[in-house]
Amino acid sequence: MRIAFAAIALATAFPAGAVSSTPFAGDHIAVTLISESDALVPGASAWLGLRLQHEPHWHTYWVNPGDSGLPTKLAWHLPDGFRAGDIAWPAPKRFTLGELYNFGYDGDVLLPVKVEVSPSAQPGSTVAVSVDAKWLVCEEQCIPGKATLTLDLPVRTQATPDAATATLFAGARAAQPQAGAWKAVAQLAGERIEVRVRGADLGTGDGLDAYAENGKIVANAPPQIETRDGSVVLIFLKSDYFTALPKSLDLVLRPRDARALRVHAFFPRGS
Amino acid sequence: MSFRLLAFSAAMALSMSAMAATIGAPAPDFSLPDGNGKTHALSEYKGKTVVLEWNNPECPFVKKHYSSGNIPKQQAAAIAEGAVWLVVNSGADGKQGHVAGNAASAFLAQYDARPTAYLLDADGKVGHAYGAKTTPHMYVIDGGGVLRYAGGIDSIASTDKEDLVKATQYVPQALSELKAGKTVSVATSQPYGCGVKYGS
Repeated sequence: MRIAFAAIALATAFPAGAVSSTPFAGDHIAVTLISESDALVPGASAWLGLRLQHEPHWHTYWVNPGDSGLPTKLAWHLPDGFRAGDIAWPAPKRFTLGELYNFGYDGDVLLPVKVEVSPSAQPGSTVAVSVDAKWLVCEEQCIPGKATLTLDLPVRTQATPDAATATLFAGARAAQPQAGAWKAVAQLAGERIEVRVRGADLGTGDGLDAYAENGKIVANAPPQIETRDGSVVLIFLKSDYFTALPKSLDLVLRPRDARALRVHAFFPRGS
Repeated sequence: MSFRLLAFSAAMALSMSAMAATIGAPAPDFSLPDGNGKTHALSEYKGKTVVLEWNNPECPFVKKHYSSGNIPKQQAAAIAEGAVWLVVNSGADGKQGHVAGNAASAFLAQYDARPTAYLLDADGKVGHAYGAKTTPHMYVIDGGGVLRYAGGIDSIASTDKEDLVKATQYVPQALSELKAGKTVSVATSQPYGCGVKYGS
């Protein structure tokens, strides 16, 4: 019942139209395809995204869902010459249920995707952009959902950001883990995997948390944080499903009060 | 600092228990009642290959593999080859998917599923001993009581039945490799599904 309210509120605040698909009212979630700008420009990039509005206490999942759950998946239907990239995942939150650790999103979140518009798209025409979205929404129980969302966008030689959706895209950009010049080295030490991060301003690492994008390397429990010789060291337990060292362990670091960072920790040969 | 250390020790302890079921090591023994009150001990099946399947009848991932016939078929094939298939439910009383008494056989009848037994582990002791995280979560134990497979039901994490044809089904693969005297080629995989609804 609550979701009906959410869907109505959404439809009222955010009418389906130029930059927004009709919202899909799923179980415990409303899902909408939105565009940052009011038009597609031939040969340029456009930002589209899946807006997920969760009922309080319900969440969906990151690319690495953690101990259970499933990542949200998108399959695009685009005209010839258009190409959709992967989801630019915002830094997720950690959800802990008993001894299970998960990564995902609650509240109002946007999963942005960059779409390359065909250089031969005709100004003055309209393009139907469509996406099959699948998600798993969980409180303690889980409900799978799916929807096909469609947005008709005009092709023009210039596009203008839409006042309402551009704010959401700006928020999603600010929530991206930031890449930087820091260096990280990972090392397998018995049942632990230690990651030493240099050059990032992490202070003593107080309140720091970290999540691995690639599964089956480290356990999903929060790492222990230490400082050694001025570097922050993250000590993870090895995953129960670890089979072999990857080239790198791709981490999102969440300092308590600062923007999330993206860290690729490499395993030196022979470690 | 002390709090973080404490939290980490707790995580270590948890992981130690999760690591109790280790590939190539003896599987933890247990004794659990089925829905009819009959007790089944792992040790009584020594000499036979045993499959353990963590279950929650309400979980969409479990429903995918039951309503499609995937798990019932695997159960029937394994038992026809002389193996034992034990379904285990570690859902605590009051949690989604908790099963007691007749509900176990009603669930199985609904899908025409005939495992050896459906075992009730409401206090989660056996689930914790094996480190069962999801439903489904699968384990294969050889006739000598050694754990040979732990992980997911198959290779494609989804709730869609259409993915079944493309997925590698890890339990039948492990069973046929064991039968042929071979090493299990995929001995661990990341399980996918709903979290096991432990009480504590």
